[in-house]
Amino acid sequence: MLKALIQAFTNLFKPVHTVKYPFEEDIVRPKDYRGLIEHNDEECVFCDKCEKACPPKSIVFYQHTDGTKEYRYNPYLCIYCGECVRACPKPHEALWQSDKKQTSATKEDDVNNTWFAWQREAAQSRETYAAMKKAAKASKRESKEE
Amino acid sequence: MKKVVNIPLGSQHISLLEPIRFQFTTENEKIVEVGADVGFVHRGIEKACTEKFEWKKVGYVVARVCGLCAITHSLSYTLAAEKLLGYQANERIKYLRMLMVELDRIHSHMLCLAHVSENAGFEAMFMQIMADRELVMDIQEAISGNRVQFDFIAIGGVNRDLTPELVQRVHKNLDALKPKIDDLMERFTNNWSLSLKYKGIGVLTYEEAYTYNALGPLARAAGLKTDVRAESSYFPYEEVGYEMVLESSGDIYARNIVRLREICNSIQMCKNIVDNLPAGEIIEKVKGKPDGETIIRVEAPRGELFYLVRGSKKNLLDRVRIKTPTFSAIPAMIEVFKGSEYADAPAILASFDPCMSCTAK
Repeated sequence: MLKALIQAFTNLFKPVHTVKYPFEEDIVRPKDYRGLIEHNDEECVFCDKCEKACPPKSIVFYQHTDGTKEYRYNPYLCIYCGECVRACPKPHEALWQSDKKQTSATKEDDVNNTWFAWQREAAQSRETYAAMKKAAKASKRESKEE
Repeated sequence: MKKVVNIPLGSQHISLLEPIRFQFTTENEKIVEVGADVGFVHRGIEKACTEKFEWKKVGYVVARVCGLCAITHSLSYTLAAEKLLGYQANERIKYLRMLMVELDRIHSHMLCLAHVSENAGFEAMFMQIMADRELVMDIQEAISGNRVQFDFIAIGGVNRDLTPELVQRVHKNLDALKPKIDDLMERFTNNWSLSLKYKGIGVLTYEEAYTYNALGPLARAAGLKTDVRAESSYFPYEEVGYEMVLESSGDIYARNIVRLREICNSIQMCKNIVDNLPAGEIIEKVKGKPDGETIIRVEAPRGELFYLVRGSKKNLLDRVRIKTPTFSAIPAMIEVFKGSEYADAPAILASFDPCMSCTAK
C-alpha cells in the first residue's frame, strides 16, 4: 500500500505519456508503416490484378474509349492491408504502400457519393467499351465475309 | 421483509464499456435472477462473409470482428481455410503466428486488468497499465505495420517477416514490461482494495465451471483444466514453454492472478519464439478452393474461439460460423451473478472481460 502511495506521489512529477496531438505531432511511426497506396501511371501495365485482390474494392479502373485505363482509388475505403501490392506484377514501381496517413474527410468533401458515382461510371465505361469492341468485331467480320 | 426489485444493467451504463444488458431481479440487494441480452452491436459479418466477400478476402473481414483479438479471428479463419485446402504451414509460419497471438493475449489481459483496477477505484493505475500496454502495442505495430488492424496472417503464411532489429525490439520492450507486471502482481496480491476486497466475490466453483461450460481465464481461475493451446496440435506450444495457469478459488482475485500469470507465461513464450525462430519461407502459394466443412478451435485471450467454415469449390463460401468465448461463457456469467450483491455487479462483470463486438458480430 505504501509503495503504491509513493509511486502515485512520484508520478505527479514525471513527464506525461501523451502528446498534444494536433499541435505537436511527434508520434514516431515504425519503419514500413502501412499507409496509403500510391500508384504510378507510367509503370502500370493495367492488368487489374490489384482491383480484383482488394477486399473492400477501393481500387477501380475507368475504361476510356481509346483503350487506355484510369486508376481510381478511395483512400477512405482502403483498409491498408497491402493485398493489392502483393498482387501487383510490378510492386514498388507501379503500386506501392507509402507511410502517409489519410486525414479525415468532412461533410463538404462528400466522399461517399463521389465514390459511388465513380464506381458506377467505371462499371458503365467497361460495359460501353465491351459493347464497342463487340460491335467493331462484328463489323470486321461482316466486311471480311463481304 | 423481502422486496423483489428488477434492476437493468445496460445496455448503456456508466460501468459498462460495451453494450450488453443484464436484467437483474434482486431481493434486498441480493441478485436472485439474471437475464442477458447481447445483440446490440450486430453487424451481419457472418452473412457478409458468405455473400459479399470471396473466400480469399474473408480473413480480412473477420479480422474486423474485434479490435482486441483481430489476430485470433483471422488466424482461426485462415487455419480453417488451409485445412480445407489440405495445406500444412511450415514451422517458421507457425512460430510467427504464435508470436502475434501471444502478444495479443498480453495486451488484451492488460486491458482487462486496467478495467478491474478502475472498478476498484484506482484510476491512476488504470492509466498506468494502459501506458505500459503501449509497449506491446508498439511491438505489434512494428511487426505488422498497424496498431490495431494487423492484417498479418494470410492464407498460406504471414505477410511480413521478423528482422533482427524487430527481434531486438521485442526483447527490449518485453524486458521493460516484465518488472512492471511483477509490480502489478504485487499490487494485486497485497493491496487491500485489489486483493482482500475481491476475494470471495463473484465465485464460480469448479462444478459450476464444468456444468456451465466456462472457458478461458474464467474456467482456469476455478481450477478447470481447459485451454485449447494444450488440447490442439496446430501450434507447437510445448516447444516454446507453455504452462497452464490454474487457480482454485474462482473469484475475481483468482481471475486477476490467472491473467497476470498468463501474461508472464506469454512474455516468456514470445521471447523463446523470437530466439528460436526456425528458417523457412514466410508465405507459400496455396492452390484450389475450399471444399467441404471443417471446424477450428483457437485459444483467444478470453477463451476458446470456434470457427466453422463450409465451402463447395466456389468463390463464395456456404457458411462461416463464429462462436466467440464471451458468448459461450454467458451461462457461467449468469451463474456467478446469482447470489452476489448488486453493488458488486460492475466489478464482477469487468472481471469477466466481456467482448461485445465479438459476441454480437
